[in-house]
Amino acid sequence: MKSNVKKKTRASVFFNRCGIRCKVLFHKIGVAIVNFFRRMRAKIKATNARVKEVLTQGNGKVSASMLIMGLGQLLYKQWIKGCLFLAAQVGFILYFVFRGAKDFIGFFTLGVRESNAWYGIEGDNSVIMMLMGILSIIAIIFYIVLYVANVKDAYRIQSAVDTLKQPQTFTEEMRSLLNRNFYKTAMVLPILGVCVFNILPIVFMIVIAFTNYGGEIVPPALIDWVGFANFGKILSLGQFASTFFHILGWNLLWAILATALNYFAGLGLALLLNKKCVKGKVFWRLFPILAYAVPGFITLIAFKYMFSYGGPINQMITQAGGTAIGFLDIDAKWMARGIGLFVNAWLCVPSSMLLATGILSNLNADLYEAAKVDGANAFRQFTRITLPYVLFATMPVLISQFIANFNNFGIFYFLRGGLYLPEYFLASDTDLLINWLYNMSIDNNYYSIGAAISIIIFILTSVISLSVYVMSPSYKQEETYQ
Amino acid sequence: MKKKGGLLVRKAVDATLTYAILIVVCAIFLFPILWLVLASFSKTGSIYSFKGFFPAQYSFDSFRKLFTDTDMYNYPKWFANTLIVSLGSSVIGTALTILTAYCMSRFRFKSRKAIMKTTLVLGMFPSFMAMTAVYLLMTQFNMINNHFGLILIYSAGAPMGYLTQKGFFDTISYSIDEAARIDGASNAQVFARITMPLAAPMIVYTLLSSFVWPWSDFILPKLLLKNKELYTVAVGLMSLDNTEFSRFAAGAVFIAVPIVIFYFGLSKFLINGLSAGAVKQ
Repeated sequence: MKSNVKKKTRASVFFNRCGIRCKVLFHKIGVAIVNFFRRMRAKIKATNARVKEVLTQGNGKVSASMLIMGLGQLLYKQWIKGCLFLAAQVGFILYFVFRGAKDFIGFFTLGVRESNAWYGIEGDNSVIMMLMGILSIIAIIFYIVLYVANVKDAYRIQSAVDTLKQPQTFTEEMRSLLNRNFYKTAMVLPILGVCVFNILPIVFMIVIAFTNYGGEIVPPALIDWVGFANFGKILSLGQFASTFFHILGWNLLWAILATALNYFAGLGLALLLNKKCVKGKVFWRLFPILAYAVPGFITLIAFKYMFSYGGPINQMITQAGGTAIGFLDIDAKWMARGIGLFVNAWLCVPSSMLLATGILSNLNADLYEAAKVDGANAFRQFTRITLPYVLFATMPVLISQFIANFNNFGIFYFLRGGLYLPEYFLASDTDLLINWLYNMSIDNNYYSIGAAISIIIFILTSVISLSVYVMSPSYKQEETYQ
Repeated sequence: MKKKGGLLVRKAVDATLTYAILIVVCAIFLFPILWLVLASFSKTGSIYSFKGFFPAQYSFDSFRKLFTDTDMYNYPKWFANTLIVSLGSSVIGTALTILTAYCMSRFRFKSRKAIMKTTLVLGMFPSFMAMTAVYLLMTQFNMINNHFGLILIYSAGAPMGYLTQKGFFDTISYSIDEAARIDGASNAQVFARITMPLAAPMIVYTLLSSFVWPWSDFILPKLLLKNKELYTVAVGLMSLDNTEFSRFAAGAVFIAVPIVIFYFGLSKFLINGLSAGAVKQ
């Protein structure tokens, strides 16, 4: 009776804590949003003040720069810089007249002329127009940035001249690119690369989610803007909606189970190897590292064969007199899911073990001595010292592992790829959203629906990981361990 | 006296249990790899000719066939392709990543926070959500069926994972930089002469991890390489017929061996590199 009461109070304390945590979380998010807008307002105010300053204080030469880029710099006899700005202006105008304007308009119309082989009309390619349209928008933004830099530069020269200082020469500015402004030189290539190969494609896919691209409608057919229709289809239309929610549930479960399993198995293995009684640590560590080193797709294909009817596991079963088991058959729902978890653990535990090993080596041994003196047993030492410390140190890694598991494409692509079940639309019961996305957009051309799914995946993962991070000890008690 | 004996027994039981678990875990890790290695030495191609775990007959045939019988599956060519792509993207990608990480760690500039947040957000997009777009871009740049296109994509994406390296640079003390700067070194010189040598272990880790990624990736090459002669090993091995199992195993063993040797040799760098991404004390 008494223990019952105790349990009840414990449970209520637990739920109370959860409630408080949620409240704190929402409060924090609210504060963050309010702060964000406040900062934005302050920034806009500051920018306005600066623009006003340049407009009212700037002399004729600054105005000349506003009219024609580089003119002010030329009037101040800064020849090279002035010419460069001028060349940029001329180049942009030429680009815009001959290509950019057409691309920019094309982004909104997405093509008006349908191709007709009969009449020999070569129509518009909507997809290329969209891509080129995005590029033209980027070019326009780039031009505006350059223009603002040009006006700012002219104003800076004016202020220097007005206060009787020598304005920076071109060589001085170039030299500062190796010293004070070294970061500008160093970051140009990485940022350019990321923009072209990461941001541009992502923007393109976001844009695609709002069109009807895919299915029957692929070039040469013309594509149109459809607004939020694709999201509506996923959430409400029978074939998409039921598949989406089925897969979403499993995907969340998978991400939590897989992350927890890999994390604790890795931590456990690291602790096991750290034990004093274990001799030959280097030797034992070889096996996980071996598993870590073999490229993932090889292990995955090997596992697929291992669990197949002709594989060694089934052969051993038949030799022992049993009947072969279809581990990955169409009806092997939970068994296949379990095998997926196991295979994923096999692949990921080594790296999480190595991570835990690295972190445990930083942990202060005195803490354990003190705990021993206080009479804490091994379990208490684990829950009160090791776990909080490791959790604190690995929270960012843990979150990225969660996202990686949420979007773990390889496991079920190799183990049960290309399997479509009747109650699912182009998916099987082990597929994650990312596999569904692949089936839809790469195997079956449902580009716009696929793009909409990836936006939903993005929103889900970012909301989950942000809230986990805000609730995590790394965020809450940054000072405790420092 | 009695108490001491009890303690000894408990210790012995504890050690036995520990070793038992270790042996089981290591066996689980070894099992598939051992099976694959054995399969590469099996005489016939099909897995149905195995006797349980072991192949019925052993021979070097599949390795010999891998390098001589190149009409259908040109493994040596695939291997060379993979090597080119991996080496290229490893070197360029590492250079870009190290530069980015150094700047983000040592400079405080206006758009720094914005860049950090943007990379965080970009990292949350499903990795191949943009695959179709990348494919279209590459057709526009005329880089389908082109190894340089692959190298470009891999190395351009590499700086996105700069956080580990930034964490490492954060641990290198500023006072060394300051001293050099007082002696008149510019930031570029500080980076080249002081930070780079100190960061050698991190550079090794970055080189290794950005080498392994293209070495074992299959999605991107599968999308971009349509010509069989241009395949990388991953795509090539996946294109093998079901009856060629031992050839697959031999090819897999052959590309896994260099990586395994690298990892064993550099396991210390690996542990340090992996934990550099964690929160610092």
